[in-house]
Order: sequence, then structure tokens, then C-alpha cells
Amino acid sequence: MPRLKIEDLQKIKERHWSEYSLREGGYRAKVTVHMGTCGIAAGAGNVMTDLLAEIANAGAEDVIVTTSGCAGLCAREPMATVEIIGHPPVKYCDLNSEKIKEIFKGHIIGRNPAEEYALSEDMPFFKYQVLRVLRNKGMIDPERMEEYIARDGYQAVVKALTELTHEEIIKVVKDSGLRGRGGAGFPTGLKWEFASKVQSDMKYMLCNGDEGDPGAFMDRSVMEADPHAVIEGIIIGAKAIGAHQGYIYVRAEYPLAVKRLQIAMDQCYDAGLLGKNILDSGFDFDLEIYQGAGAFVCGEETALMRSIEGKRGMPRPRPPFPAQKGLWDKPSVLNNVETLAQVPLIILNGADWYRGLGTEKSPGTKVFALTGAINNIGLIEVPMGIPLKTIIQDIGGGMKKGRRFKAVQMGGPSGGCLPENLIDIPVTYEDIVKSGAIMGSGGMVVMDDNNCMVNTAKFFLDFTADESCGKCTPCRVGTKILLDILTDITEGRGKESDLETLEDLSRDIISSSLCGLGQTAPNPVLTTIKYFRDEFHAHIKEKWCVSGVCRDLCTFLIDEELCNGCGACMRACPAKAIIGEKKKPHRIIQDLCVQCRTCYETCRFNSIKILSAKARETKQAEPVSAER
Amino acid sequence: MSDNLNILVVDDEPVVLRSCERILRDEGYKVESAPGGREAIIKMEQRAFDLVITDLKMPEVDGITLIRWIRKARPDTGIVVITGYPSQETVRDAIELGIIDYVPKPFTPSVLTDVIKRAEDWLGSRIPAKEKLEEEFPPSMLAELDRVINKYKNKPGSTIPVLQRAQEIVGYLPPMIQKRIARGLNIPSAEIHSIVSFYSLFTMKPRGDHTVRVCLGTACYVKGVETVLNKIKELLKIDVGGITENGKFSLETVRCLGTCGLAPVMVIDNETHGALNQKKAVDIINRYTSADIKEKTSENHEGEE
Repeated sequence: MPRLKIEDLQKIKERHWSEYSLREGGYRAKVTVHMGTCGIAAGAGNVMTDLLAEIANAGAEDVIVTTSGCAGLCAREPMATVEIIGHPPVKYCDLNSEKIKEIFKGHIIGRNPAEEYALSEDMPFFKYQVLRVLRNKGMIDPERMEEYIARDGYQAVVKALTELTHEEIIKVVKDSGLRGRGGAGFPTGLKWEFASKVQSDMKYMLCNGDEGDPGAFMDRSVMEADPHAVIEGIIIGAKAIGAHQGYIYVRAEYPLAVKRLQIAMDQCYDAGLLGKNILDSGFDFDLEIYQGAGAFVCGEETALMRSIEGKRGMPRPRPPFPAQKGLWDKPSVLNNVETLAQVPLIILNGADWYRGLGTEKSPGTKVFALTGAINNIGLIEVPMGIPLKTIIQDIGGGMKKGRRFKAVQMGGPSGGCLPENLIDIPVTYEDIVKSGAIMGSGGMVVMDDNNCMVNTAKFFLDFTADESCGKCTPCRVGTKILLDILTDITEGRGKESDLETLEDLSRDIISSSLCGLGQTAPNPVLTTIKYFRDEFHAHIKEKWCVSGVCRDLCTFLIDEELCNGCGACMRACPAKAIIGEKKKPHRIIQDLCVQCRTCYETCRFNSIKILSAKARETKQAEPVSAER
Repeated sequence: MSDNLNILVVDDEPVVLRSCERILRDEGYKVESAPGGREAIIKMEQRAFDLVITDLKMPEVDGITLIRWIRKARPDTGIVVITGYPSQETVRDAIELGIIDYVPKPFTPSVLTDVIKRAEDWLGSRIPAKEKLEEEFPPSMLAELDRVINKYKNKPGSTIPVLQRAQEIVGYLPPMIQKRIARGLNIPSAEIHSIVSFYSLFTMKPRGDHTVRVCLGTACYVKGVETVLNKIKELLKIDVGGITENGKFSLETVRCLGTCGLAPVMVIDNETHGALNQKKAVDIINRYTSADIKEKTSENHEGEE
């Protein structure tokens, strides 16, 4: 693309709209195949190939095929959207070769939507969402800059570079109340103001795409589906603080995000939206991608800056804050991907518009990665203040069949597990912190009665103990001790005094660690003890893991009254520990049983029961029903 | 010594084949030729060659596919590449696969014989040991490494990008490679080591032909990735961080791949496999065994026809 002038943006926008309004382009139908990492892994590439082959075979020249990033409903990938002139678009999910061929013949050629494969737009998954950050999700081809421009792309940069002073930009962002979406929720405008006031020959504008929380994938999706929105936010931030060099720090585990950002940046350099004298406004800004090398702690701002300097990513004490002394000791601002993707909208539409959604202290929308034991797994964006319950039950579509909600884990290893009686709380920074969890970057993992909360706490401590950088002793040693105690409990060596030790040690780690990792690492332990104390007691006193997860603390038995002898468990058992005649109650030979849960998950009649470890010695032959 | 070396020349241009044959025969080598990757594989299945000289761009089975096959089926065979575009990505891929050297096209007889002599020396001096010393890395690999070091030399904060590229080129970061980078970037090698040991992406042990990475993220945990991981350990008979006896697979875990919608997930090389259970994981890994690589080559072939 040649170097752009401001009026060119408008022209591209108009031209592209007409090209994309099917009628004027001379097209009858458009098919968008959604290709994020999830989609590709689920087989979107094959669907695309099959579709192209069908179109070629049929000689259907009036059908265009395009790609986009993720469409949001990750568990139902591969997905595609079919738009026929004069009809509303139809989204298809769970596609494969046969289905796309059928859809091609039935819908694209025959004009009858294949309703059995289609998603309804008024399904609650879509109904409660408000798309701001994800406004272009699944709508544009992320590798084509024109499509971003056609949807008001880079208009905010024009406004910020030509109409607004840096004070005015900061004021709008401050007034909007935008808070950092990386986890802590620090007001973005304030951060920019600090950095803008420091005098320096060099300043840096950084973007944090080191999404390390396990169970979170919001930033990956945004970078993959709409890379230009992130770049636009960075340019505006750079102008606000007066930076001329920037970096996007991306995890090496996200190769597709890196690729798409690089393509987008190359396009910006060609078009004169990055580099010298951007859009002839006199403002210079250079941007580079920096790939991480797999260290969770590098999500912390001072550690991330050390990492860009090419050193071990270890945090340092603050103050001085990065706004004064950051990357290479120069004033630096680090914002999260999602935060920056909000910025162009705020600049274009103003602070009042932004405050139109959300609450007084937590305005706007928040993106969540909704996963775990629910029906609709996906990437969602909701107004702040929405009850947690709405997210889980309506958008998430409730629990998988026959399962009971147990907890929702928010904020990854820094967050906590909230039980059922708390899911009425509104989703805002304040309310979630009050509950003991944190908003975090937006990972939301729903757990059902198949999950053991003690084991979950252990899972997170295993993570933080491994990822602790080792600088502060309380974090390095403390997390290891927490992990050891939790391991003891899950393996049947728990003592009654353990709970107190866990709580005391947790408080010490929180109060004496330097960075966010250590200060929040005990949260999963504290919240599980607070809300699921009974489970800890059962593990310690009765040596009983109710969920049947901790192998040493459970015995699987077949309830002879409920078992109808269908044999499903017998066939599924990998240890061949189940015996029994057809249509007669089966029995588990305890000496052979490896407590793998397979039978429990296979049985459709609820006849497998989980008892404590002690039951194994005594209850071998007895029918279970007699014991209760 | 030359008369002992068996060379197979692979190129789809008959002119190149004929001239290579003539030049090398004059030098006293035993030379055979194949007009394409598929024919080369058929020949190599019947007998071993010491050295294969191959073009990269060929219809049907191309040079990279052929090199991949040789690395698996005939790992002792040396490989030299003929290429018109030494800077191209395919050449870099070939270097990462462990070729000895390349001949830039067009070439004169003396260029070809020089490269082949160097390759012969390298093959002769090679010790078939697992732990390699620096001298034993193919010259093309070290040249590419030095090119990367020189490119980044004067850029502040470039240690991590250089190490990332180095690991892509060599496959892992043994002490000798770390020292070479330290010298090149003018940084103490202790500092390089401290960075290599800090970041989980870097490894000091060689990896298998395929790297299986199992995601241990929260969503995968909730959906029972542990049983899948145990099954894979059992199947490959290795622990996390290990490499199978035949060098085919190494097993690693990763904190979160961010593909939680498809949990449990694993990545083999660069391909993501989701919605795993024990059986599916086993099936997928079995697809990567060498018998299937042949099938893969023929599948590709059919696809292109």
C-alpha cells in the first residue's frame, strides 16, 4: 500500500464498503471462514479447502470466500458465516467436510439455510454481550488493513495526531475511567499522565501481550483477530506520553498472533502509519515485536522490561515506577492488549459514551475467556457490573448435562475460586476483590463436582512455585512449602494443624513479596480454604476426596441396587478391575483398581459411588447401599 | 578415499544432473542420479549412499520433504543442497534440518567439487556420538548462526532473540553454542547461561524429531489432561523432559497454549491437537511414527497431482 494521507483513509473506507456491500461488488454471496488458532486446530483449513473446491466445481463466480479471526464460540469451531445478498448472515458451527458441502448446495446455491447446523443469533451466548474490544471479531480479515480501515480503523489516530494535544488525549482517557485490563485495574489515563510529565530524551510505549495466566486467551484472540486495533491504541498512547519507540511483548507460545501483528505492522510502515512523520502530522513512532521466552513472571511490568533488555526477567522494587524509570531507565508505559484496543473507541466516541456501560468505578466492558465445565466455551465481552450468574448460566449455557456447579475460578493463579452462593455478585473490580478473587486478565474457568478444590489449589501452587523467579525468598520458598503441604493433604498425610499453617504462611508471602506474582500466589489457597473448608476437612480427617480426584483418598464402589449390569464400565475399565455377569450387578476388585475414574464417568445410572480411602479395606465385598 | 564415497544427485533438470554426474565422476566419486524426490527415496530404500546432493525446488516430492525423509530413514547420510536462492526460507528450513552445506546456483565445476570435498572431510571426521562438540555441527549451521549473531550484534537487548533463532537453527543450546554466542555478542558466557536456564523456552538437551507439548493450563486441568499426559508417558516410555530411545519424540509440558476452547490440548511440532482423550492422543502420536512418514510423502504427492 502506498503512503497514505488522511483523506485517503476516508476514500479506502468508502471504496471498501461498496466493495463489501455485495450488490455493488457484483457478488451474490460471501462466506467467511473463521481462522483463529482454535479454528485452525479444529480443522478450519480443511473446511476452507473443501469449500473452495465446491465453488470451483460449481463454477460459482459470484461467491467470495474470505477469512477472519476467531468468531468467539471456541468449543463449536470450525465455524463459518454465510451472507446471501438481501438476507441476514447465518453462522454455522461444528463444521466438517460433509456439512460445508451440504451448506454450499443447500444454502449458498439453494438459498435455504441449513438450520440444523446454524447458530441462532438470539441465543443467550450472543444476547448479553456488547462488543467493543471484540467489535471486529470474526468480521474482518486481520491480514487486510483495508478491512480494518473500512470499519473506522485509524480514524482515532487521525483525530489524536491532528486535532488533539497530548493533554486532551490524556483527559479523555482519564475521564472515561478506563482501567488497566491486565489485572490490577490501574487507571490508564493516570498512568499516561505520570509518564507524560516526566522530561526525558527518550520514552517507551509498551504493550503487554504476555498472557501467561493458564486458562486465559483474550489477548491472543484480540491480537489474532484484530491486530490493527492494538497498534492503533499503541500509537495514540505514544502520542499521549511523547514516546517515539514502542514494543509489543508477545508470548512465544502464540505464533499466529506474532505473525498477524507482524503483517499488520509491515502494512502500517508501508502506509506511513508507523515510522517518520505519521500521516504528515510530524509525529514519529517506531514499533517492534519482542517475543517472550516462556516465563510467567514476565507479565509483571518491571520483569517484562528487564526481559526486553535481554536479561533474566526478574522484577525490581518500585518506586521508581516505570513511568519515571522503566525500560533502559527511561520513562515507560506498559498497557495490556485489551486496554489498548479500547483506546481508539474512547478517542472517537468520547468519555461519556464509554461510561454509558458499566459502573461508576468500573466503566466499560470486559472481555472474558469462559472455559471449563460449561456448555458454551468461548471468548465473550460483557458490560461491567453484569452478575456473574448471567455469564455462567446464560452466556455460558449452564453446566454440562448432569453436572453440578461447584466453583468458578477467576484471575488464574493470582485469583481465587468462588462458590455457588457468590455467583450473584456483579462483575466489577471492587466486588470481585472483596470476594477474595481478582478480576485478573479475564480468565474464567468453571468447575463442576468432578473437580476437587484441594487439588485445584495444589494445581495453582504447582504453577506458581515453578514460575516464581526466585528473587524474594518468601515467594520462592513459601510457595514450595504451600505446595508440599497441599501435596501431603491430597496424598493422605494431612494434619489438622495444616490449615492454620497454610493460612499463616499465605499471609506472610503476600506481605513480603516484591511483585504481583508473590503477592497473589496464595490467593487460590486462601479462597479454597475460605469457601471449601469442608473439603479440606474431609481430606485431612476422613481421608476422603469426595470428587474422586485424589487417587489415594478414594475408593470406587458399585451400588448394587442401582447397577443393572449393562457392562459399560467393565468394557471401559483400563485395569480390567470390574467383573460381573450380564444384567447382574457388577463389582470392582479393589486390588486391581487404579482409581482412574473411568467407570465413574462411563456409568449412566449413577451406580458408581466414591467413598473414602478407608472404605477400601473393609467394604470390598459389601454392597454399598447397606452402608449408608 | 574419493573412490569410496557414494553420491546420489537429485534434480529435476536433466542438464544439472548430467553435468554433476560428469564433474563428480571425473573426481573419482561413485555417482548415481535421480530425477526427483520420489525416485531418490526409492533408490535409497534399496541401498545406502554416503552423500545426497539435492535441489530444493522440484515438482511432486520436493527437496525439503526428501531431506526430512533422509533424516528419519537414513540419518547417517550427509546432505548438500543446490539452490538458486541461498537466502530463501526453504534453505533456512534445510539448515535447521541439518544439511552439511549448500551449492549456490549457477555454479562452476570447482565450486561443486570444493563443497563436496568439504562435506567429505566433515563426514570423515564425524564421531557418531550423541553429545556433539562444536566442530561437529555442520558448517552451514554455524555459518547461519554467525550471520544471526552479526545481524544483532550492535542492537541492545538482543540476547533473547539471538538465542531463540539459535535454538531454531541448532535445535537446542549446548554449552558450545552458548559460548559461540557469548563470544559473538561480547557478553560473558555465564550471563548467556543464566538467561538460557531462566526461560522455559530454552533447552540445553537435544530434542527428538518431534516435540510433543502437552498443555497444563487450567481449562485442560479441569478437563482431565493429567490422564492424557500419563497415557502419553506410558506410550513413549519417557517422563516429561525426556526423549525416546530412538530419538523420535521428546515430551514437554507447557503452561497454557491459550486454546482453552479445545481443552485438553497438545501441540506436536507446530500442529495443535484439541479435545483429547487417552485414545485420541495415542492415535495422533502413532501417526507420527516413521511408517507413516512414507505415507505422508505419498499423500502429498497425490495431493499435488
